[in-house]
Amino acid sequence: MMRKVSLTLMAVLLVALFGWVWQERVALRAFPGIISAYTAKEYCSCRYVMQQPAEYCRGYVKQSVPTNDFLDTPEAKRITVSGLGRSHSARWMGERQGCRLE
Amino acid sequence: MSKGWFLIPLLLLNLNAQAEDWPGEQWSSSPPPTGPAIEALEQYAFVPRDDATRQGIRTDALLVIQDGRLVYERYAGPTDAHTPHLTWSISKSLLATVFGVAYGEKRFALDDPAARYYPPLKRHPGMTLADLFHWASGLDWQEDYEYAPLNSSVVAMLYTRGSHDMAAFTAGHDSFSPPGQVFRYSSGDSNLLAAALKTIVGPASYADYPWTALFDPLGIRHATWETDASGTFVGSSYAYLTARDLARVGLLMQRDGRWGDRQLIPKDWIAFSREPFTRFQAGQDEAVPGGHWWLNRAADRTIRPWPDAPPDTFAALGHWGQALYIIPSARLVIVRYGDDRDGSYRHNELLKRAMAAFAGTVQP
Repeated sequence: MMRKVSLTLMAVLLVALFGWVWQERVALRAFPGIISAYTAKEYCSCRYVMQQPAEYCRGYVKQSVPTNDFLDTPEAKRITVSGLGRSHSARWMGERQGCRLE
Repeated sequence: MSKGWFLIPLLLLNLNAQAEDWPGEQWSSSPPPTGPAIEALEQYAFVPRDDATRQGIRTDALLVIQDGRLVYERYAGPTDAHTPHLTWSISKSLLATVFGVAYGEKRFALDDPAARYYPPLKRHPGMTLADLFHWASGLDWQEDYEYAPLNSSVVAMLYTRGSHDMAAFTAGHDSFSPPGQVFRYSSGDSNLLAAALKTIVGPASYADYPWTALFDPLGIRHATWETDASGTFVGSSYAYLTARDLARVGLLMQRDGRWGDRQLIPKDWIAFSREPFTRFQAGQDEAVPGGHWWLNRAADRTIRPWPDAPPDTFAALGHWGQALYIIPSARLVIVRYGDDRDGSYRHNELLKRAMAAFAGTVQP
């Protein structure tokens, strides 16, 4: 009896979970990309628009979610960051235009 | 004799104009003030900075203009007088100021439908430009940054699904209310305005318009305003100015849209900026929305967000503690840049201490 109740409960929870995943599918698909895009864009602006030291900018963009690869190409003023399995780049476009995600 | 009388008002006007200070290439400054009130202000704004935990109040810049003169300036952390600091949502009020110039050029009216200038909004024919300035588009927008990243419309707009075309991303949201009825703070509304401006001033002028309309006349030489991939200014978030340059915009607003002898922005535009949105209700935000500016007074007189500041105080406010405060009755403009990550900074406390330090110290 107890087993039947817990199985039913489990099934209900699973259905609810799948329902939620389906409802949030667009947001969930985009979610892992946030940290790499955020870090690339805001680091680029910190370094090349606000012209702050590289070390300061690394601290400035730090969030609780870690990033694994970080590549700043100063000649191109381009930053590529990976995290949670996604990768994003941002590039400095000019004095007025600042940085933009690619 | 009659000619002589005629000249007197002109002479007085001239004296009056000469008595008024305006910045040239640089601000003219007064000797740095000292005393217990300044110390109290600094004890609040410039506590020792904790870069390891990033806790507490972390002021990057504090600058005070009184009567058009620089009376106080201090920087901390890596920011200095030449740093074009990220303003975050101060950008929204800057966008409104740029619109003010276009308004003076009679390029649009506030009750024009937004869809006239940004066709993807034709699903919402009742939405006017004024509704967008009041953050009352009625679009179902979620303005959260770090705390609810999954459902945050603003995070998706800036970094993921919306980053290529932020206005189009915003226009794709459903409505939760008819336009103009309910205040809901939205960076999306600001970027719809930024996209509408492209049609309002014409695509050929658009890319330079913030400079030709506002920054150049004010003598702002180093401003950055980032765009999305479609070329639309990120009107919600990404303008960068030095503290000294942001103060120029503050002085323009303090003096009702006039810069020197030029009425750069019509007075009725400034009045709209400073007029509380009547549908705002207590508790919906930390200050009262005007026309893309924040006010210390509401239609409901019991609402006073910053009780220790005069009721005519208004401000442009941004994420992580950015602020441009304008107090016309005290002839004060205050720029405060910061990197506050924990929300402990209080506008009222800063304003209270700044009023104690500066209000009434200079007689006109």
